[in-house]
Amino acid sequence: MGIRGTITGIFFLCLLAPATLRAQTLTVYSALEEDEIAAYLEGAHKALPDLTINVMRLSTGDLAARLLAESAAPRNDVVWGQAVSSLLDPRLAGLLAPLSSPRIDAMPARYRDATWYAPTGYVTAFCVNTEALASRHLPMPRTWQDLAKPVYRGEVVMPDAASSGVGFMQVSAITQLMGERGWALLGKIGENVAQYTPSGSSPCKLARTGEYAIGVSLAFVALQSIDAGYPVTMVVPSDNVGYELEGSAIMKASKNKAAATRFLDYLASPDAARIYARFKTIVTVPGSKPDARQVQMGLPPDLDARLAPVDFRMAARERSAIIARFKTLEDH
Amino acid sequence: MGSGVNTATWSLAPVRREGAWRAVFVALATLPLLGLLVFVAWPLALIVLRSITGDDHAWTFARYAALLGSPRILQAGWHSLAMGATVTAISVSAGFAVAFALHRSRLPGKAVMRFALLLPILSPSLVQALGIIFLLGRAGLVHQVTGWNFDLYGFWGLVFANACYGLPQVVLIVSSSLAGTDRRYYDGAEVLGASRWRQFLDITLPQCRYALVAAAFVVFTVTVTDFGNAIVIGGRYRVLATEIYAAVAGQLDFGLGAAIGTVLLLPAVLSIAVERMVARRSGRVADGAMVVQAPRNIARDVGLGLVAFVALAPILATTAIVVYASFARLWPYKLGVTLANYHVNLADGFAPIVTSLQVSLLAALVGTALLFSLALAQRRMSGPLAAVSSFLALLPAAVPGLVLGIGYLVAFNDGPLSGWLYGSIAILVACNFYHYHAQGYLAMVAGLRNVPAALEEVAQCLGAGTARRIGEVVLPYAAPTLASVFFFLFMRSMVTLSGVVFLVTPALNLAAVAVMQLDMNGSVSQAAAYATCVMVVTGLAVAAMRLAAARASKMVKRSRHVA
Repeated sequence: MGIRGTITGIFFLCLLAPATLRAQTLTVYSALEEDEIAAYLEGAHKALPDLTINVMRLSTGDLAARLLAESAAPRNDVVWGQAVSSLLDPRLAGLLAPLSSPRIDAMPARYRDATWYAPTGYVTAFCVNTEALASRHLPMPRTWQDLAKPVYRGEVVMPDAASSGVGFMQVSAITQLMGERGWALLGKIGENVAQYTPSGSSPCKLARTGEYAIGVSLAFVALQSIDAGYPVTMVVPSDNVGYELEGSAIMKASKNKAAATRFLDYLASPDAARIYARFKTIVTVPGSKPDARQVQMGLPPDLDARLAPVDFRMAARERSAIIARFKTLEDH
Repeated sequence: MGSGVNTATWSLAPVRREGAWRAVFVALATLPLLGLLVFVAWPLALIVLRSITGDDHAWTFARYAALLGSPRILQAGWHSLAMGATVTAISVSAGFAVAFALHRSRLPGKAVMRFALLLPILSPSLVQALGIIFLLGRAGLVHQVTGWNFDLYGFWGLVFANACYGLPQVVLIVSSSLAGTDRRYYDGAEVLGASRWRQFLDITLPQCRYALVAAAFVVFTVTVTDFGNAIVIGGRYRVLATEIYAAVAGQLDFGLGAAIGTVLLLPAVLSIAVERMVARRSGRVADGAMVVQAPRNIARDVGLGLVAFVALAPILATTAIVVYASFARLWPYKLGVTLANYHVNLADGFAPIVTSLQVSLLAALVGTALLFSLALAQRRMSGPLAAVSSFLALLPAAVPGLVLGIGYLVAFNDGPLSGWLYGSIAILVACNFYHYHAQGYLAMVAGLRNVPAALEEVAQCLGAGTARRIGEVVLPYAAPTLASVFFFLFMRSMVTLSGVVFLVTPALNLAAVAVMQLDMNGSVSQAAAYATCVMVVTGLAVAAMRLAAARASKMVKRSRHVA
């Protein structure tokens, strides 16, 4: 097809767009990973064959920025798997429609709200490069307190709470539970930090290739790295396990709310939960547990009980104050 | 460039023609100026407005006061300036030497040099930084081979990454000036007994003054606004562009992001003023320039060869290592060769490359045409119109891609143009073209200086129609410049990321965004493989178009001989 053909084609597509949208097409913005999206969509297609679901994948921060920039005329029907602490931001929360369906209403109250629910989530983990650790004769860190020890100077990489949702999740979990002692701990760890990265998965990616020995990151990136064959050990710190929920919601401006609700209801089904188990460290659909393979790679079998009891609403309220204080640590 | 150059021309023309001339130039100027207003001035005005609008919709300068009072921001600002100045000094001097080696030496291997210069322009932004980490990181190839421990992340690593990207842009702009210097100047100097060094100081440098200042402007602004390298290589060395990213994507504080973005415009506005001054003072290139033939000089060639090697070898190495990593089983642990990384886990597979090709072709075609008519029309412009139009033409260089992308989203998501633009190829074309508008514009202006005014005047006196005048007088001189601007826009459009990441939709994805998605998805090797495909496709497309152009120009020449 030549350029002219393409332009004409797009022109006609634009003319047709309103009509086709009514014929059960959903536009979805998602912060989930590309490969899991493909697997979930395959499942959704079997359960809801009449729906066409177009997904665009963006990082959590870019997705939030895009929603805000489009807020005058939203373009998507569904937000899928976006950090709940981001959905709780009043400027984004105001864009969401009330949400209810049989399966969603049956979820534990901790994992839902009037406008969103979260069938999955992710937890903090350290990615430790065993080769780098051995070559520098360092002991294996097990806790956040360990990361503050001077032996690790210059070998720790952490996400930047000011630009990464994962970084914010870790810092707010530590400071909520430990108060001033938490800030002092973060300050001491800061002396060992070589880099604060803008993305939550970069620390693990830097650690797994041996750039640094320890990357403070996410369990699923650690698991992915072990699977790929990198010399990585996953450590879920025993003193504080920050976690984040991946919330899904329907836009107030959506013209396809019925179809969107069917899609989100499917995502709360046991069928979907079976697919989550292949990728996710937290599955909130009742009756889900880490699978044997994950436990073997270092995920605690009682993960659910060990999650830090974080108050997401409080974290969202105090977000700017937390970030402002964190920045003074970074500048140190 | 215009002021004062061509007023004399009009008085030479028969009076009744003057109105027609004017109409043609107004027509030439209208479209490019309209484009600049809609796609540069409007989105940026919205951004600046955002920075001075409080949450209560009242006007406020509180954000600027807070920025000035924040030691963190002041430090980042200082870092940006230091970074910009260092990279500019390195890129401009090395770039000038490389351009000089290309045009004024008898060095062998110029094709290799030209190839190396293309690489930073046609490699996807993210991948260049990855290549530098693979090569020079703490666990990079150099460390593995030599055991040498050094820390890449920080000031010097960032200088290196930015200089690699700045250098080819300097060569692009300076080359058009060097190519246009008349041999007869040197012949004359030779006869008068001036030394080679005197000739360099008194002929070469003054002839290149405009291009050098323009190149410095481009490198400085591009460095200060870059955030791709800063995020990956900067480590704890914080610059303003990363603060914008933290404000926008981390804290959803568009007002703060807009304020920092506006502050970033300041050095650019200053350098635009300098550019205008130099443009006014620089002489035009001689009429009917004859191409300079480099005299034999071994010492010069050896020196230039060394500089070119030092400047270009790292560029070749970083790209080569990305290609190598794309075939590795598990970089850097298992280096056995595999094609597995080329089976990418992307829903739309390689389709984004096709979309990118379409977007880039359109951006390059439309962009070159608009820049050509703008530069042509500006030869007749004077006063405030000339100043405003060249200011708008240069401004995009000072805008971080992230800010431009958000600006487009805010400007075109709703409002009168949204039905046409949102989610269409057109908005991607516009974003890519205007993102690189300043570079194209400067190369075009530097190149059009080669069009002899006298020839134009003769054509005018003989009564040649404007269309014919442009076709037969201006085009032959401008053709090389048009081609290099076209290919520059094409290649940058294929691979640029930061602006369009906010404009792609589920139905319309681009190659550079796909590379980023693969990297985010956890597979650096797949990202490297996809990037390699993008580079190969872009390179092949450029080669094919150059071949076609060469064949076409041969045919035109032959048909003229027959006539």
